[in-house]
Amino acid sequence: MVALADPCVSCAQHRAHSLVRLGLSPDRWDYLIALAGNPNVGKSTVFNQLTGLRQHTGNWPGKTVVRAEGAFAHEGSRVKIVDLPGTYSLQAGSVDEEVARDFVLFGRPDVTVVVVDATRLERNLNLVLQILEITDRVVVFLNLMDEARRHGIAVDAVRLEGELGVPVVPGTAREGIGIPELLTAAHAVAKGERKTTPYRLERQAPEIDRAISELEPVISDAFPDVPNTRWVALRLLNADEAVQEAVRSGELGQLIHDQSGTEVLDTPESDRLRVLDSATRLRWELPPDFHDIVTEHAYTAAEEVASRSQKRGLAKAGFTFDRKLDELLTSRIFGFPLMLFILAVVFWLTIEGANVPSSMLATLLIDNGHTWLKGLSVAAGLPWWLDGFLLDGVYLATAWVISVMLPPMAIFFPLFTLLEDFGYLPRVAFNLDSMFKKAGAHGKQALTMSMGFGCNAAGVVAARVIDSPRERLIAIITNNFSLCNGRWPTQILIATIFIGALAPPQLGGVVSAAAVVGIALFGIVMMFVSSWILSRTVLRGEATSFSLELPPYRPPRVLQTLYTSIIDRTLIVLWRAIIFAIPAGAAIWLISNVTIGGVSIAHHTVGWLDPFGLLLGMNGVILLAYVVAIPANEIVIPTILMLTVLVTPELAEQGAGAGVMFEEDSLATTEALLRAGGWTLLTAVNLMLFSLLHNPCSTTIYTIFKETRSLKWTTVATMMPVFMGVTLCFLVAQIWRLVTI
Amino acid sequence: MQFSVVAEPDQSEDLRLGDIPMRQEVELVSIDLPVELAEPLLERGVLPGCRICPVRSSPGGDPIVSIDGSLLALRRETADCLCVKLLSSLQDAG
Repeated sequence: MVALADPCVSCAQHRAHSLVRLGLSPDRWDYLIALAGNPNVGKSTVFNQLTGLRQHTGNWPGKTVVRAEGAFAHEGSRVKIVDLPGTYSLQAGSVDEEVARDFVLFGRPDVTVVVVDATRLERNLNLVLQILEITDRVVVFLNLMDEARRHGIAVDAVRLEGELGVPVVPGTAREGIGIPELLTAAHAVAKGERKTTPYRLERQAPEIDRAISELEPVISDAFPDVPNTRWVALRLLNADEAVQEAVRSGELGQLIHDQSGTEVLDTPESDRLRVLDSATRLRWELPPDFHDIVTEHAYTAAEEVASRSQKRGLAKAGFTFDRKLDELLTSRIFGFPLMLFILAVVFWLTIEGANVPSSMLATLLIDNGHTWLKGLSVAAGLPWWLDGFLLDGVYLATAWVISVMLPPMAIFFPLFTLLEDFGYLPRVAFNLDSMFKKAGAHGKQALTMSMGFGCNAAGVVAARVIDSPRERLIAIITNNFSLCNGRWPTQILIATIFIGALAPPQLGGVVSAAAVVGIALFGIVMMFVSSWILSRTVLRGEATSFSLELPPYRPPRVLQTLYTSIIDRTLIVLWRAIIFAIPAGAAIWLISNVTIGGVSIAHHTVGWLDPFGLLLGMNGVILLAYVVAIPANEIVIPTILMLTVLVTPELAEQGAGAGVMFEEDSLATTEALLRAGGWTLLTAVNLMLFSLLHNPCSTTIYTIFKETRSLKWTTVATMMPVFMGVTLCFLVAQIWRLVTI
Repeated sequence: MQFSVVAEPDQSEDLRLGDIPMRQEVELVSIDLPVELAEPLLERGVLPGCRICPVRSSPGGDPIVSIDGSLLALRRETADCLCVKLLSSLQDAG
């Protein structure tokens, strides 16, 4: 028998002994790991392998835009790990690059693990070399070795380690291969047990070296705690605006203070200005193409190191399937139709699949659960107002949200996540780029748009991947035109009841899905239109150049996708909906039961809003529901149903009392109820339009403010869609009435 | 190997990537863009001296190029700023 390497070592069971996962409690630690790397090389996967957290990973560049933190224990040490946004360089051109760079530079991690894509070594090494300029405590994790093998690329990790002078660990993070070795190497470097001799770029021109050594002492005088004066000097000579600003404001010293917690004295202004003046003076003495020389030199070095440590073209396999698929998915003829078709299939599966579990949940939670709780409260002798407030207000609102929202979300999110994992989203971005270009916006806005289909607040944060401030602002303001998951259920329900019902029963699902796709597409059109208007008026400018890497298709991991999308998206969104439904349910019950002059507040408000509502082709109930639902779009439909019961006299006896969220176990009763409330096809169409075009939810508004730091742009982003929605609904209502009378 | 990031105007480099027919592999000579616009391309592996091959165009007419084994979507305007040269028949085999 041949003695194989101990199979236990690579097994998760084995690792569990040395690696106790602590989840999210990164408050005390013995050493700090920063995780850096190019976009889409699997940093989040490595992070998840180390911490046991299921951070959402996706197959497209720029997935992690904010840094994630986690902690675990390894051989008795508590380790904190920070997952930085993926960047191609540390030039700080965009917000995510700045986050990554500031952390490597000022966060003083004990070790920086750079995750490298073994199939694209040259490009990835460029970032590695830049990080080696800043710190010598580096471990390189050579990820995606399996993909490299499939593509006929062999990387010599030992040779690369010799070239770079820091540990290089090969592996495949998706399968956990190489993770224990990575931990051992990171541990040794962090503890100083392993000394590194990092590759440093030699400057070609002696005058550049001279300028750097002249500037270095000036910097260390002004900022004695800055770890790498050589690098700061080079950036200043390069007229790097971010670093100049950090010196001017004294932030360079302050950042270190933030991260380490030790007291640092503010650098006097005269010292700060002296640094900038010296840099400007020295820059004059440098050759005019100095920046080109440095850039060129860096790339040549990366190329040389890469070519010495890899062999390519061993096999031509692998790319052909990708190519064939891309020819179809991004083709001139089939690209758009296929996109619509895929979108429609996802909705159709959601609509058809959610029906049965939805009515089962409604029977369980509302029919049986509510009756049972009512019985309990009678037995316990609760006063009528407490019973009404808790059971008819709070409980029914929650039950309604769960039974209506959980099934479609549990189907929609995993499907969407599978597409994402597979690598389809960048293709969508690519297909749509020419239109974004015409609208004067950035091609990556298509990615933030896709994020918005999940949650607008997430889409707004994702706009950080856009480096031009003008285009980033456009992406933030127009993200609300992506239908978010709080609005999908409204669209799906109303389309099923009023539009699907127009078609023969066997086609109902298809027609409803088509209507929802139509609204989603209309949203995309509105996004283009408003981006175009913005880029020609208040945010004038040309679209900057754009290049987007199309990642290879990766086989989706079905089980993990199911798990993460249920945990990450479905439950989080559902939880948020419940949190907001509880007070909303209580508020609705209160305004329905507190009376002024014998008539409830709700009645007063609805009566007052009715004329406006009718003018917009809707009614007072819908408008009031939108006001109640500002915290969360998810509760629009339950609120509408409850208020309809309340203000429609012939329905009032049906419910258990005023302000009770009505029990809807089947679509037929919902339909009967809404029709009795005076609903027509026009009401349904305008509700769907208004659900698309109205203000973002309060969470999104707050996120927009946090990201833009501008009251003005937050107001624009909030009011612009309301204005558009009101105008459009008004026009539709007027034309509709002219045509149908 | 000529390695210049910014094109020199007196050079007779008239051939641009935008003129190259699909599936013809060429060598990148220089990038005719200011360095701050060229930088994102360099970072994505678009380096003078590398082999580059237009493989497809998007529904809007923008090219997708294959470079260093990966696919990169460019805008037409960007492709017109990439100066390239044809490979000799000997090099083509590689």
